[in-house]
Amino acid sequence: MSMTTGGGGGYSSDINMTPMIDILLVLLIIFMVIVPVTPKGLDALVPQPPKNPEQQKNPGDRTIVVQVLHQPGKNPSYKINETDVYNGAGGPAAQKELQARLTEIYANRAERVMFVKGDDDIDFHYVAEVIDIGRAANVDHIGLMTPKIMAGQ
Amino acid sequence: MGISVRNEGGKVSSNINVTPMVDVMLVLLIIFMVITPMLQNKVQIDMAKVDNATAMPDADKDDAIVVAVTRDGGVFLGQNKTSVSELGSQVSTALADKPGKTIFIRADARAQYRAVEDAIDAVRSAGVDDVGLLTQKRENGPGGA
Repeated sequence: MSMTTGGGGGYSSDINMTPMIDILLVLLIIFMVIVPVTPKGLDALVPQPPKNPEQQKNPGDRTIVVQVLHQPGKNPSYKINETDVYNGAGGPAAQKELQARLTEIYANRAERVMFVKGDDDIDFHYVAEVIDIGRAANVDHIGLMTPKIMAGQ
Repeated sequence: MGISVRNEGGKVSSNINVTPMVDVMLVLLIIFMVITPMLQNKVQIDMAKVDNATAMPDADKDDAIVVAVTRDGGVFLGQNKTSVSELGSQVSTALADKPGKTIFIRADARAQYRAVEDAIDAVRSAGVDDVGLLTQKRENGPGGA
């Protein structure tokens, strides 16, 4: 009897950590996979028409409207107000030129507001890229011009 | 000598200990039960890739109003297909108790901009003046798309 009770002293008194570490590692891996899924996006404003149409101020020369123009079968071209960017050609080089011009325009401005107006037939990602370029040029407020806003509705 | 070895061998259990494996499997089961609804509550959209996107954690919340525009011009409010003509009234109903909230637009990169414009116009008619265009972070440097 006394021998068997004495035999109990042979058991290890350490807690077995292995299963706990297994589970913690699995949890760690799973949270590492989940975290990067936070949605990202571009903030944009949609201007509301003035209550009184008479109030519509004529657009000042400080207003910047970037137009994205559809060119069949090619990348769209860009215009800042009525000025062609990159001689009316499209593509990545035109986007670089657009960003350089916008950076120059907004370098000395306190209120950095830009409007983006896209043709109906272009793909959405071209517009998203222009907003992205505006963000890169430190424009704070980017407004989207839609046909109904142009019509004053 | 031979006898004692045989006795030692008889005491070793030949069963595999399945407890840790079952532990891990149960944890994985619970985690996939939690994740699966998070992955499936979205309309399949291939979003535009940009460099300067800001984080929009609000878009993942349960009460976020997300308008999706698919490549073929379909408009979804949350997960429900709707039409541009009904979108305005549906959004203003959803916005009734919380004005000034941001609406999120998940538009497909290759969706026609006309469809996106129409959706934005419909949302604008509901009194929204701030939209978040959800995008993805570009991974392979500029000039990729």
